[in-house]
Amino acid sequence: MITTIKTKTTKSIVSILSVMTLLFSLGSCQDYLDVQPEDKLVGDQLYRDIYDADAAVIGVYGKFMALAEKHVILNEMRADLMTTTRNSTPYLKELSQHNVSAENPYISPKEFYEVIQNCNDILKNFDIMLADKKFTQSQYEQRYADVGCIRSWVYLQLGIHFGSVPYITEPIETLEDVQNISKYPRISFDQLIDKLVVFTESLTYKKLYDSQSSLVITVDTYNTAKFFINKECLLGDLNLWKGNYLAAASYYKNVLETSSNSANINELFDVYRLKGADVTTNNDLAVGYVRFSEQDARSLINNNTQGWRSIFPRERDATWNIEWIWSLPFDSDFAPANPFINIFSKNSGSYLAMPSQRAIDLWNSQRQQNDFPYDARGSKFTYNMVGDDPVIMKYLYKFEAANDQFKREGDWFLYRAAKLHLRYAEAANRDNQQKIAYALLNVGIYEAYRDGLTTSDDVTNVMQTKEPFPYDFDARNGEAPRFRGNWHRNVGIRGRARLTTVGAIGDDMITTENNIINEAALELAYEGNRWEDLVRIARRRNDPSFLADKIYEKLNKEGNAEAANVRTKLMNPSNWYLPFKW
Amino acid sequence: MILLKYNYKRFFASVLTLAIISCSNPWDDREDNGDSNLDSNLTEAITNTTETTQFAELLVETGYDKVLAASKTYTVFVPTNAAMAAVSDAILDDPEALKQFVANHIALTAYSSERNEEETQIKMYSNKYLTFQGNTMIDDATIVTADQYAANGVFHIIDTPLIPKLNIWEYVNSVSESNQTAAYLLSLKAFNIYQSDSIGKVVSEENGAGYLADSLTNSYLRNVYNLNNEKNSYTFFLMEDDGYNAEVDKMKPYLIKTSIDPIVRDSTATYAQYFTLRDMAFHGKYELDELPATLVSRFGVEVPVDKTQIVEEIHLSNGIVYVMRKVDVPLEKRLLTTKIEGENNGPYFNFIRSRMFYRDRTDLSGLFFQDIFVQNPGSPLPWITYNAKDFYSTTYKVYWRAINDIQTNVFQQRLLIYGKSEVVNDATVFSQTIALFPYMNVELDNYEEVFIGEFTLGEAQDIDFISLVGANTGTNGNNSLTLDYLKFIPVIK
Repeated sequence: MITTIKTKTTKSIVSILSVMTLLFSLGSCQDYLDVQPEDKLVGDQLYRDIYDADAAVIGVYGKFMALAEKHVILNEMRADLMTTTRNSTPYLKELSQHNVSAENPYISPKEFYEVIQNCNDILKNFDIMLADKKFTQSQYEQRYADVGCIRSWVYLQLGIHFGSVPYITEPIETLEDVQNISKYPRISFDQLIDKLVVFTESLTYKKLYDSQSSLVITVDTYNTAKFFINKECLLGDLNLWKGNYLAAASYYKNVLETSSNSANINELFDVYRLKGADVTTNNDLAVGYVRFSEQDARSLINNNTQGWRSIFPRERDATWNIEWIWSLPFDSDFAPANPFINIFSKNSGSYLAMPSQRAIDLWNSQRQQNDFPYDARGSKFTYNMVGDDPVIMKYLYKFEAANDQFKREGDWFLYRAAKLHLRYAEAANRDNQQKIAYALLNVGIYEAYRDGLTTSDDVTNVMQTKEPFPYDFDARNGEAPRFRGNWHRNVGIRGRARLTTVGAIGDDMITTENNIINEAALELAYEGNRWEDLVRIARRRNDPSFLADKIYEKLNKEGNAEAANVRTKLMNPSNWYLPFKW
Repeated sequence: MILLKYNYKRFFASVLTLAIISCSNPWDDREDNGDSNLDSNLTEAITNTTETTQFAELLVETGYDKVLAASKTYTVFVPTNAAMAAVSDAILDDPEALKQFVANHIALTAYSSERNEEETQIKMYSNKYLTFQGNTMIDDATIVTADQYAANGVFHIIDTPLIPKLNIWEYVNSVSESNQTAAYLLSLKAFNIYQSDSIGKVVSEENGAGYLADSLTNSYLRNVYNLNNEKNSYTFFLMEDDGYNAEVDKMKPYLIKTSIDPIVRDSTATYAQYFTLRDMAFHGKYELDELPATLVSRFGVEVPVDKTQIVEEIHLSNGIVYVMRKVDVPLEKRLLTTKIEGENNGPYFNFIRSRMFYRDRTDLSGLFFQDIFVQNPGSPLPWITYNAKDFYSTTYKVYWRAINDIQTNVFQQRLLIYGKSEVVNDATVFSQTIALFPYMNVELDNYEEVFIGEFTLGEAQDIDFISLVGANTGTNGNNSLTLDYLKFIPVIK
């Protein structure tokens, strides 16, 4: 009896349980288990108002900073000014010798597309926000242009290093699809440049964020104004690649005149105009010596707050502001970490890269105005000898001054006045303005155009280019009648570096261009410009030897047996580009 | 029902079988990689190898069996039982020597015979460094069986015992009774060649041997090379007495010094010996077939190498000693020119620092040089001093190279040489006037060396005040100073 009852009970319990389980399992397919997480944002929560939009913009820059190391390594190690050390990994040696293997981590374009994907997603959502009237038209245009330009910048780098790449402007499901050639066909570098010019030109807003913008603030002691890409510099670069020299010069000139309406005299005359040395105080960005001791090598102004060296480590003060156009800081208090100390430092890092003998010889073949047989920007500032080893210092001064292993501050140097002048000179030269290019490169507008007159003469008709925009420069400096042209403090790149001139007024286009690119090596070494300079000029001239000879010379000077083979290889432009794989 | 039961039984049996089969201990599996060598440590492995049992006994005797049972990683070079016969009783019966002997076969970390580099310097437990050459040789022993491995390292069986060698300094000590060179070198423990040597000796005395560097203990080790250093290698020429004395006699006229107490010490002889011997040690180990025709000493003296004079070649733990009948170094090579660079100046007078320029320049052929230039000092007689050590007792010819390239006029400067200074009435005055050369023109853009004159020293000495002095005029442009370098060339008597 009892047994029967028990059995029955068990059976009924089992069947009730089964039914309930079945019910639950069917019912649980509903979204009452689909609870919204409380500490994460999803979908439409992300783009509710202007502050969300700002957060998205800042976010893309955070992602963008992950490209810093690759940007510098790819543009410098592949070119002629940087080379490998005894510590370098085989992968770096592969880059230096243009013989990359598939597993080389530096050649993966994936991180580039992660930024692009991020940009595409934001741009799409900005459109939705605008449609939903979550921010104003002006707020939309400024932010859309900023993110759009970052995307164009990244694509330009992709083109420079990989040649043909897929041009994707919509968010995609999975990043891996980028590699799928049937889904996303690749376009040639020329086609890419065309598309980038068209897209970037089409942006309605091309200036900096307006000073009232919620993005221009001070955060963690950093003013954010120069975190953001300078759109006109990018447009200048894109047009320079495209061969639209007048358009390029025009965009650059707009940037050169950034402060032309400033009420502050020093801003008006100094910002981006490359002024000369302040001989009494040395509070400047020039290669300088203690006054009246210009013949004394030991009186060279060589510190973090004065002179040419201070361009790199100085605080973001008024003088910093006259040189820097775009620079992103690395701070040990927040991610991402500074990658450069490990690459360059011998004592606190791995010392993976150093100046090539070719670069060292290039600096030492210059002559200073005081007859010293070198360019102080080389061995005194850009690199130093540490023991018997040359160490690239531009990225290390800030860190070394802090004298604290854990304070690894530094910057990603993206655009500064000297680069702007060189790029403008390049465009102007190609637009048949050799004299302006010569002046900006060497001695400044005042000196090149003064026709023997000085400040005590009537200078009404000299010290100016008398050309229409974008070639209009007024550098008049006279007392009777009094003139202070906006450009009267400009001394030229080599003037600021206290060097004797190269070339002469009347040089042809090719000579002038060679001098400009050579000067870019001396001034901008290791700031991530060299490879793109070489590729741009070699493409423009349809002359692979312009690039190949320089790489040959680097390898040959360090006794690399592969030098001649590498040259032969690089004489074929298709070998300039890395395989598109990750 | 029966069928069901049968099926159950079959099922049960197969599950049980599976369970039993899979019932091994996964931890043991992880440990057991099927290599029985890894079950024993080095001590056990060496003991269990029949041809190396004798060395294994010594391991136990010296306590190194415990070391080789530890969980660090070692390399042991194990002599065969046959090879052990070559070990003398002097070693076997002396516990200290035995311990050092065994230690000389053991190194920390595992060195396989398969390595990337052709030669590896290995630091043994004896603190000696042995060379592992290719995959067959350790020092002068041949590896019979290589790469025997155990849980905590690797051992190689060798055909010759690695008897610890003396280093060069220990060797010099061991022959000091019979060799005058060696005896002299040891005497430099007590005698200071330079005043500054004494400071180091006091420090090392106070702190015991091995403090900072044992090179502090002896003037030779301090000023030439530390021949007691196991980490570096050297080549040393040890002359037999006749050759040595002949060489010292050659040097004596150039190192005349007044002896404070001629009975206790003949200073001239002491210094002549030092300046003979300082050029007998060379950095690096030169095997007989690697010896070049000339070796350059640390001081820049080119020493001709006459292999026919080699009496004996002694391989030591940090290099090679060649016992030589004589090493004949011509005086022209021996007596060094003293060169003083203009930019390496000492104190200066009658102008301020900002009037002195340390310049970087290239000469007419594009060669880089640095010099010093004083312009517009603001007062007459601008004055820069230099000093230099170790002038010989002989006549010197003096030259300068002085570049006058940033002025348009010729100016004059002179060289005044004083040996020492002393304090008289609280003022420092130069004493011992050696030479006062007249004013000379510094011509425009002259990159040649200019002969200034000569002077003669009666005794070998240091010169403290070699002074470059400008014109006695306040007129700027006329009282400038410039100097690339000074050269003092000793004349053979």
